Amino acid sequence: MMLVWVIYDISDDRTRSRVAKICKNYGLYRVQKSAFLGDLNRNESDSLALECESVIEDTDSVYVFPMCEDCFDKIKLIGTGFDRELVSGMTVTKFF
Amino acid sequence: MQLVVNSYGSYIRKSGECFVVKREDRCLEIAAKKISSILIATAAYITTDAIKLAIDNNIDIVFLDSKGDPYARIWHPKLGSTTLIRRRQLEIYGRPEALALVREWCARKLENQIEFLKRLKKSRSERNDELTRYIEEISSSLEEMRRLRGTVESRRQDILGLEGRASRAYFGAISLIMPEKYKFTGRSRDPARDEFNAMLNYGYGMLYSIVEKACIIAGLDPYAGFLHTDSYNKRSLVFDIIEMFRIHIDEPVVHMFTRRMVRDEFFEPVKQGVVLSREGRAALIDMINKALDETVEYRGRNVKIRNTIQMECHRIANHLIRGAVEESTDADDLNVIESGCDTCPVEGDDACLGDIRYIG
Repeated sequence: MMLVWVIYDISDDRTRSRVAKICKNYGLYRVQKSAFLGDLNRNESDSLALECESVIEDTDSVYVFPMCEDCFDKIKLIGTGFDRELVSGMTVTKFF
Repeated sequence: MQLVVNSYGSYIRKSGECFVVKREDRCLEIAAKKISSILIATAAYITTDAIKLAIDNNIDIVFLDSKGDPYARIWHPKLGSTTLIRRRQLEIYGRPEALALVREWCARKLENQIEFLKRLKKSRSERNDELTRYIEEISSSLEEMRRLRGTVESRRQDILGLEGRASRAYFGAISLIMPEKYKFTGRSRDPARDEFNAMLNYGYGMLYSIVEKACIIAGLDPYAGFLHTDSYNKRSLVFDIIEMFRIHIDEPVVHMFTRRMVRDEFFEPVKQGVVLSREGRAALIDMINKALDETVEYRGRNVKIRNTIQMECHRIANHLIRGAVEESTDADDLNVIESGCDTCPVEGDDACLGDIRYIG
């Protein structure tokens, strides 16, 4: 498993929401409007990239990049941050 | 992770490959890929699409009542493995090998109790003598249990008697080390008479559902037990097997009390007893899930406690099949035994067979 960031810049509303949907389906968490983060295996991150590629236009951009655990620990959260445990898959029980 | 729905009147539906849980203005969207099981511990709604999504992803949905007993579960309608296991499970009942299995399970329970009390004793020198006496009491039951021979039928009362004697000593010892406010006198169910029993019963309820799932996946018939007798809809085998895993609930529950993590809001009075409140359930479920996710050494490798339950059930199933194969001379059957399971994380271990399906 590895931590993966997906960050995009997409002009069309429908395309953008389709990419967001793909990210959610793979279990990534929305940490900003156009930024998703979560832990995926190699296979999942490859097929996620392929799915995104098939829906976007030439002028759009989607970055899928992995991050090592050491770097993740060094992230500084300023302002409204995300739930570190949840996005890194450390949460054992999620209550609602 | 385990999703626990604990807010009264929650609504669970599907959206894409995600579950959406909603109540008034609160909303949680979570991918099916991230979830291993769903526990519904309160009144809630769930759509059939959400059920389908869960089943397609090997997520079981368990419904718990206020005492923590699973009263229903949604799971695919398949057997989990080959019927040969169930056939053998019924066949060995009258033979000494059934008693050997039961003796092993019960002895394991007593060993776990002794080890736990020894760990507790280490940091409580002021209770040393009393705890030592309790430990000796369980040890002598354990020795007697190991000497039992014959059939389950003929030894049932002996085993139950020894188990009961050990249990009284064990809970006597635990009550001794409890904070003054939470001391208790013996076990009580339906309803629990005190806070400790309320916690313990709820934890055992969760464990029943985990053990039952492990039995089904391993292909064991949860209703055909050995020590526990047959009765209408009685999951006798689950009751038999659960004994060796109870310690995984006892330990976190005792720690919640001794480490002062228990608060008054965790409990609600009911007629002649105590049940857990919403906060109490949340605290306990979280504690138990964390404990089950801890890694222990199991047969030479590091495994999460949660997975040892499944592996132990696979071993029992394998043991049953292996017996059947030894009697037959069919070479094809033997090949099945030698090929390891390629879907199971346990590589090349005899805990797994090629034809046992591994789900979840």
